[in-house]
Amino acid sequence: MPTKEELQQRLDQISELFASIVTHADHQSLSRCPYKNRFNQCTAQFGCRNKRKPKVQGELPVCVSDDKLDYRPAWEWPCDPIR
Amino acid sequence: MAELTDIAHEFIRQEIEEFIERPDERQRTINTFAKARPEMQAIAAALIEGENETVDQLTRGALDSGIEALEVMDYGLIAGMGIVGIKFRQNFIFVPEVLACARAMKAGMAHIEPILSAAGVEPIGTVIMGTVKGDLHDIGKNLCIMMLRGAGFVVHDLGVDTSPDKFIEAVEETKAPLLGMSALLTTTMPNMGKTIEAFIDADLRDDVKIMVGGAPVTQDFADDMGADGYGKDALACVALAKNLLGVVARS
Repeated sequence: MPTKEELQQRLDQISELFASIVTHADHQSLSRCPYKNRFNQCTAQFGCRNKRKPKVQGELPVCVSDDKLDYRPAWEWPCDPIR
Repeated sequence: MAELTDIAHEFIRQEIEEFIERPDERQRTINTFAKARPEMQAIAAALIEGENETVDQLTRGALDSGIEALEVMDYGLIAGMGIVGIKFRQNFIFVPEVLACARAMKAGMAHIEPILSAAGVEPIGTVIMGTVKGDLHDIGKNLCIMMLRGAGFVVHDLGVDTSPDKFIEAVEETKAPLLGMSALLTTTMPNMGKTIEAFIDADLRDDVKIMVGGAPVTQDFADDMGADGYGKDALACVALAKNLLGVVARS
């Protein structure tokens, strides 16, 4: 049976891992929309001007943001179907 | 010193080869996985792929077969998340993928929780989290939840577009002493205040501490609406949650 200290040490390790992830996420979100995945698809449930229909039916919508301008004003788009 | 070929799992070998560029990190990761038994490598691989059901099954299977919780954490869950962290830092993957991996980690940790409890490591507290009514933005909230769970809180995620009634229902059901609300739009921010008013009307305001956050939210806005605290990001959220519950140190 592991001791409380041994387990606590692992939990602290997990916390540290997550803290560094969150710090990087904050930094990255200044230029890249956090809803955009590695395939440049949009995972957001809300409307966005940068969202386009997927190339293949059933896939996630495509994000056309160029990551150069602030993407956040685009989120104010009404939550209706993809453009 | 271990070699990449000492690692049995092909996917893990590929991940290290393709994504871990820094020599020190690469060697450390190789050393870890070279010592890991195949079952642990499989847990790590499933976690990296964000496959929460597989992580759930493999973790349960490993513990049932007598593998120690520490080994499952060291060589499966934490080792896998370590690769995820490196890939994220190097911009090979992004927030949606990381959150999928964090969900997979949570699925595995669910089987470790009884062992933590038996050893005297109890959750810090219970938190209800949700994005307010009319708002569908959830990344910030999800990062806060990832951090809170990592820090040892039990979190009930109400998701997006959460009405005041749903928040009240959740607090009544779980007896959670802490509630976190998020809003990303200036148009939905006032719904935080409306939710707080609903708690006052339901005579529950004194039973729960309320923290708020989200890009347009400020400390002044939080004070004006009567929240107990404001967190500017996920790190601040954890510190605030501990502070509001009077937690000095986890141990």
